[in-house]
Amino acid sequence: MMRSRSTLLLFSLVSLLLFGGVTPQAFADTFVFTAIPDEDEARLRQRFNKVAAYLSKELGVETKYVPVKSYAAAVTAFRNNQVQLAWFGGLSGVRARNLVPGSEAIAQGYEDQAFLTYFIAHASTGLKSSGTFPAGMAGKTFTFGSKGSTSGRLMPEYYVRQNFNKAPDEVFTKVGFSGNHAKTIALVQSGAYQVGAVNFKVWENNLKSGKIDPAKVAIIWTTPPYPDYQWTIRGDVDQRWKPGFKQRVTEVLLNMKDPDLLASFPRKNFIPAKNADYQPILDVAKQIKLID
Amino acid sequence: MATVPGISAPTAPRYSPVVKTSAAFVAVAAGCLLFADISITTLDPWSEMKRIAWGAVTPDFGAVAGLGMVVLQTIAFALCGVALGAVGGFLLSQVFHLGAVRWTCASVRAIHELFWALIFMQVLGLSPLTGVLAIAIPYAGICAKVYAETLEEAHLPALRSLPSGTGIVSAFFFVRLPDVWVHIKNYTSYRFECGLRSSAVLGFIGLPTLGFYLETAFSEGNYSEAAALMIIFYLLIATLRYWMRPKLVGLYVLIAPFLLGGGAAIDMSNIVRFLTVDVVPAPLRGGGLLEGRTWSGLGDWAGTLLIDQALPGMVATILLTQIALVATGVLALALFPLVSKKFFGPVTRTVGHVFLVVMRSTPEFILAYIFLQLWGPSMLPAIVALSLHNGAIIGHLVGRFSDEVRLRPDSPRGINLYGFEIVPRVYGQFLAFLFYRWEVIMRETAILGILGIATLGFFVDSALADIRLDRAIFLIAVMAAFNVAVDALSRQIRNRLRLSTRAGQA
Amino acid sequence: MLFRLNNENLGYDGAAVLRGISITVSAGERVALVGESGAGKSTLLSVLQDRYGGNTALIPQEPGLVRSLSVFHNVYMGSLHRHSAAYNLLNLVWPRQNEIKRIRPIVERLGLGEKLFERAGELSGGQQQRTAICRAILQGGDAVLGDEPVSAADNHQSRAILAALSDTFETIILAMHDVDLALEFSTRIIGIKDGGIALDAPAGDLTRPDLDFLYRD
Repeated sequence: MMRSRSTLLLFSLVSLLLFGGVTPQAFADTFVFTAIPDEDEARLRQRFNKVAAYLSKELGVETKYVPVKSYAAAVTAFRNNQVQLAWFGGLSGVRARNLVPGSEAIAQGYEDQAFLTYFIAHASTGLKSSGTFPAGMAGKTFTFGSKGSTSGRLMPEYYVRQNFNKAPDEVFTKVGFSGNHAKTIALVQSGAYQVGAVNFKVWENNLKSGKIDPAKVAIIWTTPPYPDYQWTIRGDVDQRWKPGFKQRVTEVLLNMKDPDLLASFPRKNFIPAKNADYQPILDVAKQIKLID
Repeated sequence: MATVPGISAPTAPRYSPVVKTSAAFVAVAAGCLLFADISITTLDPWSEMKRIAWGAVTPDFGAVAGLGMVVLQTIAFALCGVALGAVGGFLLSQVFHLGAVRWTCASVRAIHELFWALIFMQVLGLSPLTGVLAIAIPYAGICAKVYAETLEEAHLPALRSLPSGTGIVSAFFFVRLPDVWVHIKNYTSYRFECGLRSSAVLGFIGLPTLGFYLETAFSEGNYSEAAALMIIFYLLIATLRYWMRPKLVGLYVLIAPFLLGGGAAIDMSNIVRFLTVDVVPAPLRGGGLLEGRTWSGLGDWAGTLLIDQALPGMVATILLTQIALVATGVLALALFPLVSKKFFGPVTRTVGHVFLVVMRSTPEFILAYIFLQLWGPSMLPAIVALSLHNGAIIGHLVGRFSDEVRLRPDSPRGINLYGFEIVPRVYGQFLAFLFYRWEVIMRETAILGILGIATLGFFVDSALADIRLDRAIFLIAVMAAFNVAVDALSRQIRNRLRLSTRAGQA
Repeated sequence: MLFRLNNENLGYDGAAVLRGISITVSAGERVALVGESGAGKSTLLSVLQDRYGGNTALIPQEPGLVRSLSVFHNVYMGSLHRHSAAYNLLNLVWPRQNEIKRIRPIVERLGLGEKLFERAGELSGGQQQRTAICRAILQGGDAVLGDEPVSAADNHQSRAILAALSDTFETIILAMHDVDLALEFSTRIIGIKDGGIALDAPAGDLTRPDLDFLYRD
């Protein structure tokens, strides 16, 4: 009894002292990237571990993918220089580049030049697919995706505000944030929400893999196209690794030809991108006051 | 017939303050129910329920790669966090009589671990220190209070009989500390159990603990994997006393920091930036401090935040807290006989114990998460989750307390025993536990905001999602002030009703 | 002259239990306080302890032990004031041989030798009382104030305890309920009744019947 108490005290103090010394430096010269968690994590891991292996080989620098649980965590990690490269959405990319001077959008998917959001509805709502904005969804329950998503939040909110001239929580009886696109589909399909807004790529992927029951949930409207996902890199990577490193990363991404790698995004191929491509996103975000 | 002059029998029963207070709380909760959003929005909750039930009986332990390491890291975060918190709390308890220390402790423990983690995530990112500090800081606040209160109760006769001239250090270690050591040890080990829960839940926002994989498994509908993770978590807690030996604690605490995993380097400049830029209200950044525009901007900033976010968040927080508090009480009163020797034999009691252990070991965050998946978004999942978790905790404590009640040999049985003999005797204790949980329940409603229930926590989560740390910190401060106020109110009611119990137990 | 009270009202929180008390106790006296329980003996002792506690050991009625510490540690506490905090902590964690040597004979004399390293909380009431007495003996000093220190001891033990106290302390003031023992042991008897001192005389001048009035209504 006596002995154990003293050891407890002693060891607690020693470990307290140790804490000061244990600052993890595991990734000192590893090139680290992350991605916004827009889909099922198992799929993300699978996708980006393959990409990490590809980058390691092509860059000749050890490259590692770290998973995060939220869009904000991805932006924060990028801002804090805990990751140097990230697969961002339009909005998260704009935010990240605003916070990290010198950072650049270097590549986007071919499809990201003209990305789309699908408004989807449960069959019980009676809402039908149409070329005009579905005003009939007023008074229903509605779910966005993640709070920080471009296709699941920013663009759908923009079009809701533009067409109703009201904030979403005044248009709908209930507004939710599902967390990610796959969940948005699941929630609307289960009827937990009557209407939702979802990334068109994720919808098509889920449709292909048979996770969507067309009898229960269907597309009712498609937004006009907007620029979305892109690879963004910090401006200080050249100093940290070697001159021309940023250029090299860009080339390696643009040269990603392995259909297996590309299919997991899923993108046809990657094309060059620049910060100015995302000006429309920044404007919309400022307009609906998601960015000051 | 002789009568005592001047005293006539009252014509109506007179209710005690305890009964009146209880009735008032029930009335308030009933009023809140009118305004609360309670519904089941999923069209077919049963099919998902069936899948969850099927997952629960077919746990898949192979699904998580490196499960052993995940378990070790969950323990390691809890150990480091609680050890740091306990040592810090112990040091603080020595100066707890200072008003500034008391207030600091009250405010840091008013903020839930999850929010601490979200704040530290901004500064330290994915570093393990994020998780350790998220546990250590609020735990230091709560340990300081409990340790200080416990030490105050140290046996006075022993102090009196010390030779005069005994130094305060000697007096402290020979009399005060040994006298209350058992309580401190028990409380700290109870805190460690809480720490395991906190550690697991922190995984939901990205730390490499059980919650990380639980969140994935739940959100992807891999209920067999989720079941395996939950079972491992229950086993961890159920076997706590077998592996958490006092003799080994020191060794564990020494090893734990090395199991936290790498993560990322900590950059001082991030900390500086957080403190000097991020938390400064946006209108003040860059704006001249002498310009009227800056200050009117700040007024707008604060006004908008208060009216559009803090106010509705507070209303939702109050509604949810008051309903959940009463539901917790009702559930606890209904559940405690299950584990009481006064009512049931060993078989039923064992079943009761297992049910209560599972319910109180499952973090309310995870319960709410499951119910949200089942019933869709409304306050219902939150109310059920909070009352199940807290009701199980109080039910367990009241059940144990009821075992100590001495009955006369010819006491009634069954419902009469419950109503006339047991409940009246345990009610004071029950209410004391419940009022202790009041502030805890309010803190928990905040974290359910992260799941989408529009309490204050929801708005904090939104601000963090927008990387608007100034707003997040402002709302967290409002939340903390609110919690401190409820804590004070609860203490006042407890004092007025003369309810007391050891704080550490509830 | 070690203790002096001059026409004082004694009590707790302003409520006087004893009124107009005047006592002077000189070095070398062995005083027994007798009277019904509740008469105010403990009050008187605690006032004396508060005023003159400097070099005086105390044996409270409730033995005032730290239940989770061993007999050794509880006795050692009588010497806390003689050592540095660091030395005291060392002994708390790891009892030194010379301290054990010092304490063992005291404990053995009162029949607690085998219990030296048992926790005080696990002892019987009588054993706890004797532990408290050992602590007072180790503490030493000019005088000892004891509140019913032999209430839980049999006759034989009581005599051993009183002898041990007499060997250590020059001046002794004990509240006692056993009138015969008080007469046998003390040099002076102070009887308390109805909130005042009803009797104060050398023990040698008194016999048992002289004290009976203290216990009558």
